[in-house]
Amino acid sequence: MPIDDVLSELAESGATGALKAGRSGTVYLSKGRVCYVECARTPTVEELLTATGRLTLSGMRTARQTAAATADGGDMLVRRGVLSRGELQLCVLGATLDASFFLFGANVPKPKFREGDRHWLGIHWFFDVPGLFRECHRRRARLDRAWPSAELDSRPVVPVRRIRAQHVVLTALQWEILLNADAETTPAELAKRIGRPAYPTLLAVREMAAAGLLECPEPPPPEKPPDLPKRVAGAAPRATAGGGDGRRARSSYPEISGDPTDVNLLIRLRNALEAFQ
Amino acid sequence: MIGIEDCLSEAMAIPGALGAILVDHTSGTALAMEGLPDPERSAIGLSETFRATLDGLALSSPDGTVRIDDLIITTDHGYQLIKPMETMWDGPLLICLRLDRDRANLALARRRLDNISHELIAS
Repeated sequence: MPIDDVLSELAESGATGALKAGRSGTVYLSKGRVCYVECARTPTVEELLTATGRLTLSGMRTARQTAAATADGGDMLVRRGVLSRGELQLCVLGATLDASFFLFGANVPKPKFREGDRHWLGIHWFFDVPGLFRECHRRRARLDRAWPSAELDSRPVVPVRRIRAQHVVLTALQWEILLNADAETTPAELAKRIGRPAYPTLLAVREMAAAGLLECPEPPPPEKPPDLPKRVAGAAPRATAGGGDGRRARSSYPEISGDPTDVNLLIRLRNALEAFQ
Repeated sequence: MIGIEDCLSEAMAIPGALGAILVDHTSGTALAMEGLPDPERSAIGLSETFRATLDGLALSSPDGTVRIDDLIITTDHGYQLIKPMETMWDGPLLICLRLDRDRANLALARRRLDNISHELIAS
């Protein structure tokens, strides 16, 4: 049974507790809203805080034991000055969106719901379930726009020895990925190693693949340009009768190279223009 | 020390503020917003604007690396302020503020936004 269906039912019934999806992860609900999600493939809040040196492993263990019964560990960490209220909320928010992306949509043999179970960190942000599904869908589409093939997602990241471009611009995250890529580690493992969420890491890997910086199995098929709308008979005058196979009309557009970097740039330009109307 | 919601309401209390949004830059996710009709589209547009600026400046700067403190865009209707905030575990978050051109005091707004970002992220 897909975990999404179970989750939707729980949300509708206003459930409070933890939905365990075997070893894949856990979704924490409060009155039908999601307050935290953990996924085995993405760094948890605990892992993010220890990876960045905010807390030591033993410090984290002690905090968890102290707060296990009361489920107010987050507030305790804020009081102790480990991180600010805003940082805690942002960390929970980011980790939850990240985990949801990899956990949802998966088929889980026997998801178990434990009524009343709470996470030791407590509740720091709420997500409504349909909104969370929408965001996962948007992230999936964004990933496919960057590089429309999932082949790289589970393979080790291998930077190319020599690039064809003369000049490359990298983001800070892309730099970290390239530095840590040892031709053996997959994007998800890299994310855990450098203490970054898995989705941005995956996105950065696909973007670097599109820019020709990574060894790829084979280039994905270029995106097919959308078909022009079907002509309706007599809708508009046509210069030559009988020659309307659409080819002439299309040739007035500039050539699209099919190079993923070009397509990417066009998509980014379009998005920016649409948002800035 | 403030939370995400206080951060947005404080941003909206800046004179001339028309809308405010908190965006996760790497994923283009709208995390929290006020006064915006289509936050998802704004989030994508603003994070792309920020990224395009970073890329463009990196190419044009003599040393090739760039750290943006904030970005001010003046349009015919108003100002758009984009301020990146570094978190330790994620790429920058953007706090973006749209301001009315007639009512806003740009210097004041910029200073207040800077304070708000420091209150949200203590580091």
